[in-house]
Amino acid sequence: MKERKTSVFDGLLADNTVLSSLMVISPVIVCGDTLRNAAALIAAFSVITFFSVMISSFVPRKIPYAARIVSYAVISSLIYIPVRIAAGEFWPEAVERIGIYFPLLAVNSLIVFQTEARFFRMKRTNMVLSLVFYILGFDAVMLVTAFVRELLAYGTINSMMTDTPMLISGLGKPFGGFIFLGMLCGIYRKIRSAAGHRKEEEQEE
Amino acid sequence: MLKKAERERHTFPDMMLTLLVLVLMAFFYHGIHALMLAAVCAAFSLAAEMISVKFLGREFRYGDLMCITDGIILSLMMPASMAYRAAAAGSVFAVVCAKNVFGGRKNMIFSPAAAGYIFMLTSWKKDMLSFPETYAHTGFFADTEGLASSASHIYNTTGRMEHTGYEILMGSFSGPMGGVSILLLMIAAAVLILRKDISAGAFAGTIASTVLFAAIAAEHGTKMRTAALAVAMNMVLFAAVYIVSDKRLAPRKAHFAFFYGFFTAAAAYILVLTMAKENAIVIVSVLMAPAALGFRTLEDKIDILSAEEVSAKEAE
Amino acid sequence: MFIVNEIIVLLASNLILMQALGTSTLFIAAGSRKQLLTTAGIITIFTTTGSAAAFVCDKITGGEKVISLLMYTVSVGVLYMLLLSALYFFSRELFVKIRRYIHISAFNCAVMGTLFTISGKAAQDSALMHFGSYVGAGLQAGAGFVIAALILSAAYGRLCSAEVPASFRGFPAMLIYLGIISMAVYALS
Repeated sequence: MKERKTSVFDGLLADNTVLSSLMVISPVIVCGDTLRNAAALIAAFSVITFFSVMISSFVPRKIPYAARIVSYAVISSLIYIPVRIAAGEFWPEAVERIGIYFPLLAVNSLIVFQTEARFFRMKRTNMVLSLVFYILGFDAVMLVTAFVRELLAYGTINSMMTDTPMLISGLGKPFGGFIFLGMLCGIYRKIRSAAGHRKEEEQEE
Repeated sequence: MLKKAERERHTFPDMMLTLLVLVLMAFFYHGIHALMLAAVCAAFSLAAEMISVKFLGREFRYGDLMCITDGIILSLMMPASMAYRAAAAGSVFAVVCAKNVFGGRKNMIFSPAAAGYIFMLTSWKKDMLSFPETYAHTGFFADTEGLASSASHIYNTTGRMEHTGYEILMGSFSGPMGGVSILLLMIAAAVLILRKDISAGAFAGTIASTVLFAAIAAEHGTKMRTAALAVAMNMVLFAAVYIVSDKRLAPRKAHFAFFYGFFTAAAAYILVLTMAKENAIVIVSVLMAPAALGFRTLEDKIDILSAEEVSAKEAE
Repeated sequence: MFIVNEIIVLLASNLILMQALGTSTLFIAAGSRKQLLTTAGIITIFTTTGSAAAFVCDKITGGEKVISLLMYTVSVGVLYMLLLSALYFFSRELFVKIRRYIHISAFNCAVMGTLFTISGKAAQDSALMHFGSYVGAGLQAGAGFVIAALILSAAYGRLCSAEVPASFRGFPAMLIYLGIISMAVYALS
């Protein structure tokens, strides 16, 4: 089997943060049921992850691995403080509803582990681009999930009533999130595999 | 091997026969809407199966027709007044999410009908637990007025049973369409066990456990009456025949199947007794799926060890 | 008889099934039964000791939400370093075998989520604001993770078998499997 070339754009489609790497799935499953929740989570996740990884990239490699992991977590916890205060101003209701999943964004596996495994092995420009696309990958999945679940579970889009013929309230619950995300993962893999086969055929031709 | 294949070929017609009799009984009590519900569930299950089998790159075979029985089983667990859209959604969920994503009939993990029932219960709880009275013929488009709690719910919460033994046997009390026809279910159980279409061990374990626990915990009335009502109410008999004893899921060895049925029914009965949970056995059967898989894994290991012993003896 | 009800209560408050906390860690560890149970065991250690640390932090900060995360992170970080050091000096062989489980167990949603959940409940009900209650809740959360790990390991072989369509094999099938179990628990609770 031919090795797939990695690219800085992988995080969005080819190696999507949520659908492929299965990172940061808890907020998607539990809180990804309305667009308002999604907006608050996307903003917080994007800011916390971007600045945490950028600042963490200056942590010296000489210190032991465990100490580096702890320092990444502490850095993201510090960045969380102003983000939490700002989010409380812009989305007070959403932040209340999201509850414990808001602070949990700061200790997501993208910051704590993928920094070592992926980002810090790249050159700085590539790292920034790759990080942006991994963040966009999460944002995209969060938006799609929230849109579909809100429409089918509550019959609204961004809290505005629509004329949905049938509501499936189970989709708004955590188990609905599990099942929906599982189905989305499977469909994503199918599409990615089909796209991969087509590219190989085109290259062979 | 040939006998096993032949046996599997007659499972579908046998199951369909027993289910159609229950559907006809539901039609007698509740009119055209009951019949249409069964038809909608069967049609959507079949369509979902055909589409998902194609999506998975497989051929549609005779064995895949069991999806129709899953759809009808699901419909028989609903009130006769259920909306067609919800029934269709439940059927599609049962076939696609509870069965085919795991590999279909060759790799079953959950009973599709049970999973579909729970999906509908969690999404449309009020509609799923509100039933029309017997002989209240709901038209083609169901009349949603005049719905009430099931006899099982009243029995669970108050311990009172207003219906006579005859009415209970004939299914003349409010409840799920197919879960109330006790006499027909007993006949169906006998036919399917004799034809080896369902697991006799699992069936025996389910009934034995329910009777035992009901006799021990009897508060209102005689032990015999309590035990009989425990089997008749909360879809216990229906689930014992079509869900817990499903050969695709229950352990193959009779003693393992007995224990599987026993513990499923025991847990369900305790939930009915302590939490007044209506139709708990259907929900517990899904939660017991890991246990059923564990039994099957154990059986496979036993079979492998036995085969190794036999070949070692032959080599000697 | 009431054991069944206790099990239902345990499942209904389960981190993974009802709150989707630690799901990624569970899937990463699902490679083998030994891996799964070792990770679950170490997470239980972190949830229990972390809860004790969270009690101290809440006493100091008064449950202030904004700096709670920083306090909990520092506490878990200290516990993480202590556990690694203790294992290193106790047995090098064991340290080499187990350290990666400790790495993935320390900073994850299961542990941090437990601390926040316990703290939130204590903030609502002052009767829960004592050391024993925190540690007990942490132990319960860890036990819930072990139960979820056992539920997943029972079906792991089936979920990764060749019969499962390639696009759903592994993680997608595991998500749907856990979703259906979670749905059943929700229906009961």
